[in-house]
Amino acid sequence: MRKAHPVEDLARDERFVRVDIQDRISDPRSVKNSRMRTQARLTPERPDSADAARALMHGIFVGEIQALEGAGRTCWDFETGDGRDEAPFALKLDMARQCWDEARHCEISVKLSDWMGTEIGEFSEGAFLYAAACNPDPVLRLTGVNRALEGLAIDVFNTMREFGEIAGDPVLEFCEDWMLADEVTHVKMGSDWLRRLTADDPERRKDALEFQRIVDKLFSLGGFRSDEDDSPVKLARRFRELAGFDDAEIDEIADLASQALEEARTRQEAAAALASA
Amino acid sequence: MANVVLAPDRWAMVDFDPERVRAIASELADAAGLPADREVVIELNDTSPLGRYSLDSMDPIRVSMESGAFEDPKHPRQLSEGGAAGVLGRLFFRAADRLTDGFAAAPEDADLTPETGIAWEVHAAGRLARTGRQAQRQRWIYHFRNRHGFSDEGDAAFDRLWSADDLTWADIEALSASALAATPA
Repeated sequence: MRKAHPVEDLARDERFVRVDIQDRISDPRSVKNSRMRTQARLTPERPDSADAARALMHGIFVGEIQALEGAGRTCWDFETGDGRDEAPFALKLDMARQCWDEARHCEISVKLSDWMGTEIGEFSEGAFLYAAACNPDPVLRLTGVNRALEGLAIDVFNTMREFGEIAGDPVLEFCEDWMLADEVTHVKMGSDWLRRLTADDPERRKDALEFQRIVDKLFSLGGFRSDEDDSPVKLARRFRELAGFDDAEIDEIADLASQALEEARTRQEAAAALASA
Repeated sequence: MANVVLAPDRWAMVDFDPERVRAIASELADAAGLPADREVVIELNDTSPLGRYSLDSMDPIRVSMESGAFEDPKHPRQLSEGGAAGVLGRLFFRAADRLTDGFAAAPEDADLTPETGIAWEVHAAGRLARTGRQAQRQRWIYHFRNRHGFSDEGDAAFDRLWSADDLTWADIEALSASALAATPA
């Protein structure tokens, strides 16, 4: 079996269609909708809340598939050892445990999709999580996936859990709560392995944290996830603390999200001007 | 066949074929039972990717929507014919309702409560499904439960809204109220 399986070769059936995330973020239509930001928080009061929750749940589902694929690849892609291009056996055991969690999350997500009236493949798939899991350095891979993207998962699951709680939906609330608990563990694994494997290698730690910053900024999704109350997905500060982030690290993610929002606005204005010309 | 007018008649930010939209609207206007001599104006806002839509007036019948309402969720800025038929069908069934005495007391769309608004949507979606078009029953019961609570009584009210063909506004209000009354405090 080959190593470093590229994102283009992931196995999917005809129900799944991939859409590039930049295509979404740069959509020229967003800029002129002045109501978008003020009505963006996902609460049952939003007129489109049920469909927005269905779309977000589908995004979680495809993310779970890719998280399973990514953790599985990390078990396989590296020889066992302590070298820079190797992965310690204990790290592989953690990734195997994560595979088990992600497989359960896929099954939970399929059942939740049924509950919410969503068909598998009803919405497009972004392959960004797996793309981050293709980094050739296992530490950068865990930093980008476990700390940045599983960190985003914490924010998303917490938002969905709160949505289910407010709407009185016991199925959604409990499913999200259970998955959220697993995600906190996955992020903590990323934090622990980052510190352990780079304890004597400050340059490698610097590279890993820079990779995390890039991923965190890109996947703030133009302000979709931020520390602002009117963002669709809000930073879950408490759960991030439990997952090994300190206050300064959480503040940095909030700053990156603000930058991502401003940059997305600039891109959208340019795209809108082009489309109107 | 109703006279369908698009306003504007083409769009810059989405790749929707105006003739396909017009054809879908004409077919759905007939299926919903709108009178052939009525003008139907479709006002699509292509500057917004969101999916809100509303029935704004009855003479002419004017419906408006953001472009996301017609968009294929798997192909950005492309038309979903099934999705567009779903939105237009529900709007036109509600417009046909408003032309009957049984809906004379119905508030304007903008004044509908979220609960009665979704109850009426469910009644329209059920009738649309029986014409052989977009059904998505589980999607609609999820919408209904989010507005009325998750209870057996609420599901029974949903079943009546979905399966009936001739409810009045008073029936819709009563079914919505019965579902809400069963919601745990």
